[in-house]
Amino acid sequence: MKRNLRITPEGTKDYLFKECTAVNYVCKKITKVFENHQFHQVITPALEYYDLFSSIRAEDMFKTTDNTGNIVVVRPDSTLPIARMVTTRLQNEVFPVRLYYNQAVYRNNPSLTGRSNEIMQLGVELIGSSGKRADLEIITTAVESMQSVCDDFRLEIGHSMLFNALADELDADEETKDIIKTYIENKNYSALNDILDKLPKSETATAIRKLPSLFGGDEVFAQAEKFIKSERALEALAYLKDLYSTLSVLNLGDKLSLDLGLVQRNEYYSGIVFSGYIPGCGDSVISGGRYDKIFNMFDCEMGAAGFAINVNFIAEKSKHSPKKNIAEVLVFAKSDETIMDAITYTSQLVKSGVKAQFSILSDEKEAREFAERLKIKRVEVI
Amino acid sequence: MKPLRIALTKGRLEKKTVELFEKLGYNCDEIHNKGRRLILSVGDGQFEVVLAKAADVITYVEHGVCDLGVVGKDTILENGTSFYELLDLGFGKCRFALACRKGHDFYHGYGAKTVATKYPNVTRAFFEGKNMDVRVIKIEGSVELAPLVGLADGIVDIVETGSTLVANNLEVKEYVTNISARLIANTASLKLRKREIEDLVNKMEALTSDDNNSNS
Repeated sequence: MKRNLRITPEGTKDYLFKECTAVNYVCKKITKVFENHQFHQVITPALEYYDLFSSIRAEDMFKTTDNTGNIVVVRPDSTLPIARMVTTRLQNEVFPVRLYYNQAVYRNNPSLTGRSNEIMQLGVELIGSSGKRADLEIITTAVESMQSVCDDFRLEIGHSMLFNALADELDADEETKDIIKTYIENKNYSALNDILDKLPKSETATAIRKLPSLFGGDEVFAQAEKFIKSERALEALAYLKDLYSTLSVLNLGDKLSLDLGLVQRNEYYSGIVFSGYIPGCGDSVISGGRYDKIFNMFDCEMGAAGFAINVNFIAEKSKHSPKKNIAEVLVFAKSDETIMDAITYTSQLVKSGVKAQFSILSDEKEAREFAERLKIKRVEVI
Repeated sequence: MKPLRIALTKGRLEKKTVELFEKLGYNCDEIHNKGRRLILSVGDGQFEVVLAKAADVITYVEHGVCDLGVVGKDTILENGTSFYELLDLGFGKCRFALACRKGHDFYHGYGAKTVATKYPNVTRAFFEGKNMDVRVIKIEGSVELAPLVGLADGIVDIVETGSTLVANNLEVKEYVTNISARLIANTASLKLRKREIEDLVNKMEALTSDDNNSNS
């Protein structure tokens, strides 16, 4: 049998040195924003029961069984586990609670597409409140987080009820509606148009077809009002308009814009949604929104909004070039008798803030060569 | 400013797109004299053209290393997942069709049918739409051979003039869908470089709709 000893599973990789530094830099900057805004960290298990993720396609998850035969999955998302945690463990907290996480999610992507199956995510959840204030808080925290790590980005906001209201009113059977929603979520616009072509012509079908092209500045509102007749969709549009004009005081220019066709991949979104992009990255690097509906599955009513940032996407494109961590001093013990002295001396240097390394090599010439190759300037012989 | 990078499907679609660029007044000399180069500058350096196989055009665009792509609807239907389809360019027209041996009644009987194709996803979706469970066999080369040697009851393939079918004693049973070249865009590029892309799309749209009107 062929043994996979020297390769990692598809969609995963090792992170070495500078790659780690870049990831840590992004994490440090963003968690500072989160913590200063009083979001508190939580960690959820990497394994959860399959039942929790019914809103995520089964084939997208890594599954296994526990020893009683229940199906468990490697966490494909952090929001659902946090919702579970809030309903069961934080009932006596003062709401709204502000939580953040810094943990990877795992998705089983189709093979040979070069996509990461392991994505490091940083995210916040603002739970126990809904309405304009909470939505604004989440959007501005997202903007601040992006600003802390990249000069250039685009954040686009939309409203999940635009598409959902239109899809509900569409003259089609449930299965077709489900397919339409999947195409919209996956941004598979060509397949979307093909399926809409097959349906009887209607105002709703035309509106659904036009929505993805409505992105940009506030001119999109006038364009949308022309062909959206659905009352629920118009309500969502009015709310978005109000929110967008409120946000204009931030003077973000084209860093903040609108995308009326924006729909997030999970069906639990119920209000505003947003996605962010950075140059050189073909996928969105941040996505979030309002998902009050998520608590329905736990039989409780609670407002919730948040977002997740794909840390490794940003770290890969980050212009921050960290300096390599090089020791200033290599401490060499000239004989077996001085080993402990040399180790103690190294510890003293480290305690006083000097980057020092004890030489493991026992030959002085080899130790000096080693120092040269590692660009360590000083060698001290004890 | 970084040039907009456009992936073109090598061959016929490439030629047609170059014609379109030239009609819009962009200099395409580098493409005409490309030699073995794969990345070529178009216009005054505002565009960069990449030549690739059809399915790869989609891959490059999906990953965002190319902002735009020109690719046939056939490839989109078979491989497409996540990008914007901006424009029907109106050229590269042909059709997907189900064909079988002349006089053969494909739908006769309850036995599960076997269909050979280069486009398994398109084929599966087509028969799923008919609530038919068929056995799909992927063929890389001339699909027409499969029903002739008895591997399959029928084929799903691209039909342009139908002369290959006639020469092999096959006939079209049913047309699946129309195909033509499409302009596609990466979702992030479309947001980050909205103005440049919209500008190009508007120019192309004006020209392609003129052509369509004059043809009819």
